[in-house]
Amino acid sequence: MSDIHAAAAAQATIEESSDSYSQLVWQRFSRSKAAIVGALMVIMLFILALLPEFFAPYNFYTSKLSDSFIPPSEIRFFDVDGNFLFRPFVYRSELVIDPVTYQAKPVLDTENPHFIRFFVRSWEYRLFGIIDSDFHLFGLDSEDARIHILGTDRFGRDLWGRICLAGRVSLSLSILAALIAIVIGSSVGLISGYYGGKVDNLIQRFVEVVMSFPELPLWMALAAVIPKTWSSGQIFLVMAFIFPFLRWAVLAREVRGKVLSIRETDFILAAKEQGASDFRIIFKHLYPNVLSHVIVILTLMIPDIILAEAFLSFLGIGIQEPLTSWGFLMKSAQSLETLGQNTWILTPVIFIVIAVLGLNFLGDGLRDAADPYSNL
Amino acid sequence: MTDRHPPYENEGDPILKVKGLEMHFPLRSGMLQRQVGTIKAVDGVSFELHEQEVLGLVGESGCGKTTVGRALLRLYDPTGGEVLYRRAGGDWVDVTKLKRNDMKELRKEMRMIFQDPFSSLNPRLTVRDIIAEPLIIHKERRGAAITERVAELMEAVGLKPGYMGRYPHEFSGGQRQRIGVARTLALNPRLIIADEPVSALDVSVQAQVLNLLQSLKDELRLTFLFISHDLSVVEHICDRIAVMYVGKLVELAPSAELLRRPRHPYTEALVSAVPPADPLLKLERIILEGDVPSPANPPAGCVFHPRCRYAQDICQREEPPLLETAPGHMARCHFADELELHGVAYAAE
Repeated sequence: MSDIHAAAAAQATIEESSDSYSQLVWQRFSRSKAAIVGALMVIMLFILALLPEFFAPYNFYTSKLSDSFIPPSEIRFFDVDGNFLFRPFVYRSELVIDPVTYQAKPVLDTENPHFIRFFVRSWEYRLFGIIDSDFHLFGLDSEDARIHILGTDRFGRDLWGRICLAGRVSLSLSILAALIAIVIGSSVGLISGYYGGKVDNLIQRFVEVVMSFPELPLWMALAAVIPKTWSSGQIFLVMAFIFPFLRWAVLAREVRGKVLSIRETDFILAAKEQGASDFRIIFKHLYPNVLSHVIVILTLMIPDIILAEAFLSFLGIGIQEPLTSWGFLMKSAQSLETLGQNTWILTPVIFIVIAVLGLNFLGDGLRDAADPYSNL
Repeated sequence: MTDRHPPYENEGDPILKVKGLEMHFPLRSGMLQRQVGTIKAVDGVSFELHEQEVLGLVGESGCGKTTVGRALLRLYDPTGGEVLYRRAGGDWVDVTKLKRNDMKELRKEMRMIFQDPFSSLNPRLTVRDIIAEPLIIHKERRGAAITERVAELMEAVGLKPGYMGRYPHEFSGGQRQRIGVARTLALNPRLIIADEPVSALDVSVQAQVLNLLQSLKDELRLTFLFISHDLSVVEHICDRIAVMYVGKLVELAPSAELLRRPRHPYTEALVSAVPPADPLLKLERIILEGDVPSPANPPAGCVFHPRCRYAQDICQREEPPLLETAPGHMARCHFADELELHGVAYAAE
């Protein structure tokens, strides 16, 4: 008899393991190649933005005006004589004024190759404000030459390091802003959809007013009134609240629609029949079923805000030094003359494109995967 | 089969008395949502339920039978009438007038089984959480005792307790309906309103679920209001059958009596649609002409007269009352006594 029980117990443990919702979503998600690529792009950017100090070979806060607008270093494997060297290296370049045209031209010092080394120790930093380190992904083996894989900006700061640092602000600002929009929008949408009737009517009319507001002028006006004397942390927070200012309304609409469709299903009726409170119905039954859509909207809203932020920063409104963002980095590209001579200062665009594309792919993949039951 | 259908006797004491139940929905339209009419989904329905009885409530879709079930449980707030329920302690309460907290208390005793097992289970919850929910809401059990009770319930409805951690989508329709039944039984109810519990299921599975309900009824001494559009389903499980048409009861009688000798032309038509047990038996199938009238604009007189093949002048003018035409047999027809309507040979005979 005990054998039978043991066997039944073993059987039970086998049967208990089943696909949870997240596993089903992952199965569907991983089937889409675009979604995986998008996820990888986003993860890559997140890593860069999380550890910019590690990826930057030089301190991105110290300016060196003599290094202003240095073009990207050429990374070589063959020296001028055509010999293959086993390590990648760069030549030191120096700007020499052409005596005839008075144009600054880089002249390479081909005598001494400077080899690139990985995991080197150079400038010291404090990671996340707690971990002291001087470890970097790459650097040169000598102090005589410098490597700027994406060139330098007006103040002679390494653009690659600046881009990593700017990614931190661009991504965290837009995520924070999207989260704020989500919290406001989904709460309003839940209340509006669940209670319906007069409440719904009132909220939806208000939402319409908010949605009819022109976004850009409002953002610009709000960002422009931020006092320049505020600390960078304050400015960051205010900016994070400016973007959701109107965005929550769109979200409230979508969540409301979803809630309306779920509200009429039998399992909500069943919950009422069991005597569940409104609070329980909203948070145990409605919200979990809306959440997947909210996450999708979140991933699709972040790129929007990245673009909006880049636009404002490009115009010089909002984010101020010492903070920097991808749009802010391109501020000097406003001058056509500067842009014409130093095209590499537009490289932050590539990162914006990667971020927007990656998040859109990811969001589309999530949207398809969010309802794993639809095909079952 | 025979022993399951004794001639109906009033076995138990009344547990539920429904008196003139009305559920009128306002019909609104336009920008200002002005009320332009009333849908009388349920219009003066009265019946009694006796302890351990199964009362079938049948009718076409849209006749208001589901609304009756939901109004009884205050999922809709009835606009009129009384629903008197006898508590386990013996005192009567009017369900329609209960405050929210008292109603919550009553929900332990009066439960519902839902029609569609695919939409009545939250897809994000495991089977354990679904069945445990009433226990948690009413704070009946705590911690491990909940899991224990869930396992007990799953066994009672014929599911392996080992499936507790699974999600509803991993089950078949019949299994899902068993989950729904387990959830309904969690708080040891006395009265269950089964809202078309098998109509979403395959015929082969219907019988299994019906048998389950039947045996649970005997074991747990349950009282059922069994709502269905299918007389052939209802005849197997019900002691009495009530027939609804456009928000009103048109006939109420013990199952055998109603099937053998219907007293309302509408019931006759319904009964003629029941497939006979003997495939060689050729029966005249009564096809009703026209559509079910809208409950927003029911015809004058008898609501059934536009489709009734026995209709006379009086039917257009006067609404017949629901009268007892034989012991325990109520019918709403002017000619209930005169008409010789056809029934079917009842299985129990």
